[in-house]
Amino acid sequence: MFSKILIANRGEIAVRVIRACRELGIASVAVYSEADRRALHTRLADEALEIGPAAANESYLNIERILDAARQTGAQAIHPGYGFLAENASFARAVGQAGLVFIGPPAEAIEGMGNKAAARTHMQAAGVPVVPGWQGEDDEGSLRRAAADIGYPVIVKAAAGGGGKGMRVARRPQDLGEALAASRREARAAFGDERLILERYVAQAHHVEFQVLADGHGNVLHLFERECSIQRRHQKIIEETPSPLLDAGLREQMGAAAVAAARAAAYQNAGTVEFIVDPQTRQFYFLEMNTRLQVEHPITEMVVGLDLAQWQIRIAAGERLPFRQQDLAQRGHAIECRLYAEDPSHRFLPAVGRLLRFVEPKGPGVRLDTGVTTGDEVSVYYDPLIAKLIVQAEDRPAAIRRMLAALSETVLLGITTNWQFLQDVLSHPDFVQGKAHTTWIDEEFTAWQAPLCELPPEVLVAAALAEAQILQGAQPVLPSDKARPASGDRYSPWRLSNHFRLGE
Amino acid sequence: MKYRYQSGFVIYEVVLERRGESYRVTIDGQVYDVEVLNAETGALSLRLSDPTGSVRSHVVYWAAEGGVKWLSSHGCTYRLERPTPRRSRSARGAAPEDSLRAPMPARVRAVQVAEGDAVEAGQTLLLLEAMKMEIRLQAPRAGRVARLLASTGETVEREQVLVELESEQ
Repeated sequence: MFSKILIANRGEIAVRVIRACRELGIASVAVYSEADRRALHTRLADEALEIGPAAANESYLNIERILDAARQTGAQAIHPGYGFLAENASFARAVGQAGLVFIGPPAEAIEGMGNKAAARTHMQAAGVPVVPGWQGEDDEGSLRRAAADIGYPVIVKAAAGGGGKGMRVARRPQDLGEALAASRREARAAFGDERLILERYVAQAHHVEFQVLADGHGNVLHLFERECSIQRRHQKIIEETPSPLLDAGLREQMGAAAVAAARAAAYQNAGTVEFIVDPQTRQFYFLEMNTRLQVEHPITEMVVGLDLAQWQIRIAAGERLPFRQQDLAQRGHAIECRLYAEDPSHRFLPAVGRLLRFVEPKGPGVRLDTGVTTGDEVSVYYDPLIAKLIVQAEDRPAAIRRMLAALSETVLLGITTNWQFLQDVLSHPDFVQGKAHTTWIDEEFTAWQAPLCELPPEVLVAAALAEAQILQGAQPVLPSDKARPASGDRYSPWRLSNHFRLGE
Repeated sequence: MKYRYQSGFVIYEVVLERRGESYRVTIDGQVYDVEVLNAETGALSLRLSDPTGSVRSHVVYWAAEGGVKWLSSHGCTYRLERPTPRRSRSARGAAPEDSLRAPMPARVRAVQVAEGDAVEAGQTLLLLEAMKMEIRLQAPRAGRVARLLASTGETVEREQVLVELESEQ
């Protein structure tokens, strides 16, 4: 087992991995940019090194500086988190060449799954169903013929792409020319590669992904699915497991396909196989494979009862998975909501500022993963994810109730967040009935505005008292009988006014 | 002590009076009796009796920065500011802002109108760039550009006024 690991990331995932290290008795090294000098992850790690200015290129994406930090501190392994260098095959290779262990899959697996066209071909060869599509010659003539074969509507995608960029839907043959031109422009700008592929467009599809775990001894398992259809412009907001769409039969088929996909990619460590499911035909198709730990991994951890961050470390250290597929089961229902520093009433623009107060919710089945605390600055340099609120309960309705209660207990002062938007989504009948698909948010919530809350009196009273408190430098007056209303216990030792000595 | 707060376009007047070990608070004419059950920096535990006589307990979290107070009660977050002279002219009810502000620190990529131009609701007046995104500053209503306060290439701060529209009469 490693004695020291460097976490090449920041924010909540860095905190997550540091915690996993701590529990395994492994020393943790955090790296940070100038902008993150006082960030939570730097305070929690055993050691922390500054690696550059705020811009990601010069810090969290700088392979040389990260390897230097590892050498300097004697770290034996590097955990890349998600985003940044997590799916960068060159980084994985460089880590290996530096004599360190990359906590993730082999570089070849990262490369193989990183290119959409290559991944599709690979999966087809392995017998994994893929969306009917075309990844061959991409001149207009070939694409037009292919689109006719596939059948409209089709979606045009950048071969080197991801994150929703370089994608256009063409509903009819006459729309194809414009869609191709627009996709090529965006692909060239975003990825420097204008090659395109085509896929059949599945309307109102559900995005269902399977967690896979593979050790270095040939064991490949799946840890069931996550339903991730609540997305706004391809950005996930709410995830849950089990998926309300799947039944036992479909789950078994998709799980087997996910394992086959991972084997075909010669995968090791934790990964996720993404599928789209056509709710009409209940056909599922491979979409892509993510060769890293995902943001939404906690919901799987809650229902399956495994610590994925720790298993990543243990697999990288050479351990063999001690359980088999038949030993795993889903228990209860878990939901995750992503709290973002953004203003849903103003086109979801990021809201920067200082988190003046952060009160985390508590209670049975409530978990909060975050990289910030009270007083931290939410800056422009990195993504605006503040926290992931995760709940687990006995069944889906109980989980929704628990999430709404936990959201109402969460206090975030000083920045605008999407908490109200999350509450409205969770309470919407379509969500409650499990009918939400990947374009549901974009269609149903286009004109969403935060409801104008009538200001309740206690808020104005508190504002005035707080101001009086500050201006006069005095404490507000409390009733002289300082017994808390909850404690009416006549026999409480705190009410005794005689002497009694402790420890006698 | 009298306090005035603005939330959105509504202004509230709050009068705070100490009465022995409790407080009497009057909000726009409504009278509440208040007991402070606990007070820490940033969290007040209150018991309120409202004009109808019903009594409720509340825990209100608060934080202040600059002239802005953030408060949270029963799961809802509120933002209060000191009423500004310009805003207090527009009394109750929503009125569009005449001052268009930068939503975040950004660089001005292009200015698409000139002073004196008539503009339509939704028309893009300025193009800003931040975090690799293009942000369009749009007119909230039809009107005329009174003043342009930003130029191409300039870096602006959050909340900085970039365009002023002539006020509606």
